[in-house]
Amino acid sequence: MNKIITAIAILCIGFAKANAQPTIGQQAFEIILPDAKGHSQKLSDHKGKIVLIDFWASWCGPCRRANPGLAELYSKYKDKGFEIFGVSIDDEKSAWKKAVTADRISWKQVNAKGGWDAPVALQWKLEQIPTSFLLDQDGKVVVVDPSQKEIENYLKTVLK
Amino acid sequence: MKKAIFVAIVVLFGLNAMAQFKTGTLQAAGLTCAMCTKAINETLKELRFVQSVKADIKNSQFVIQFKEGVNVDPDALKEAVEDAGFSVAKLKLALSFDNVQVNNDSHIKIGGKTYHFLDTNSQLLNGERTITFVDKNFVLAKEFKKYAAKTQMACVQTGKAESCCTKEGINENARIYHVTI
Repeated sequence: MNKIITAIAILCIGFAKANAQPTIGQQAFEIILPDAKGHSQKLSDHKGKIVLIDFWASWCGPCRRANPGLAELYSKYKDKGFEIFGVSIDDEKSAWKKAVTADRISWKQVNAKGGWDAPVALQWKLEQIPTSFLLDQDGKVVVVDPSQKEIENYLKTVLK
Repeated sequence: MKKAIFVAIVVLFGLNAMAQFKTGTLQAAGLTCAMCTKAINETLKELRFVQSVKADIKNSQFVIQFKEGVNVDPDALKEAVEDAGFSVAKLKLALSFDNVQVNNDSHIKIGGKTYHFLDTNSQLLNGERTITFVDKNFVLAKEFKKYAAKTQMACVQTGKAESCCTKEGINENARIYHVTI
């Protein structure tokens, strides 16, 4: 009886872990979504670079306010091995595209249609936006919701 | 004769129709950005009378479409916001009026609900108009104080009819929505 309970407990914990948001040290889930032109973009294509996954939406005020800061980091470090993989949960493509243009977003941008119920939003257990994940060159999470300073410090250290 | 009966039925239907809210806007207040939070979207969408919830970034508000033919409960809206950890800063609902005379600081029954218009010019309402709810916890505290001062009636504090309203045909403790237009 005890063996069965233990087995079930382990299964439950394993299940919970597998279904939780990636945490520090864990491999980021693969993301495959269309860009503005409709072409499929893969997160894993950027292994070898330090990647910041940025979950946002055109209708999220704090997300929009963070974009200039991201643009600053991007222009400074993109040629040194840094990429930003922006995932918008906008349900309206036109609103998303308008925001990308307005905020002069030049980094990778994909759209996960469906808002909070978009498959990627559910998989990554998004409860708030903006939510971001800084990944090392192997695609492992190093910081969750890093501040601009934390990102810059990490980039300075790793990308000499 | 047929025509007269037909017209009579149409008129009766018109009088008894529960005038329903079609759309509304809701501003929520809290420690974090309400529109950026999944929780409040979920609690609002779960309401049986809600068709859709969209974020209006320009005005920092939720735009809500209600289901046709389903009774809209403003108190349930407020509870959904509070369940998600926020509070209602402003709730405005759009209602179609058909020649309804509203007078300031008095009770009126419209579409199955009793309203108490405050700080409103007595007027004849026609077409789609937006009413703002000013009951306690439907506006920020300072706003509520301002509207509460516009009446001597105790119902503004409780949102419910006092015993004195029975002479108007309103049951004691019946819900009275304090609004302005």
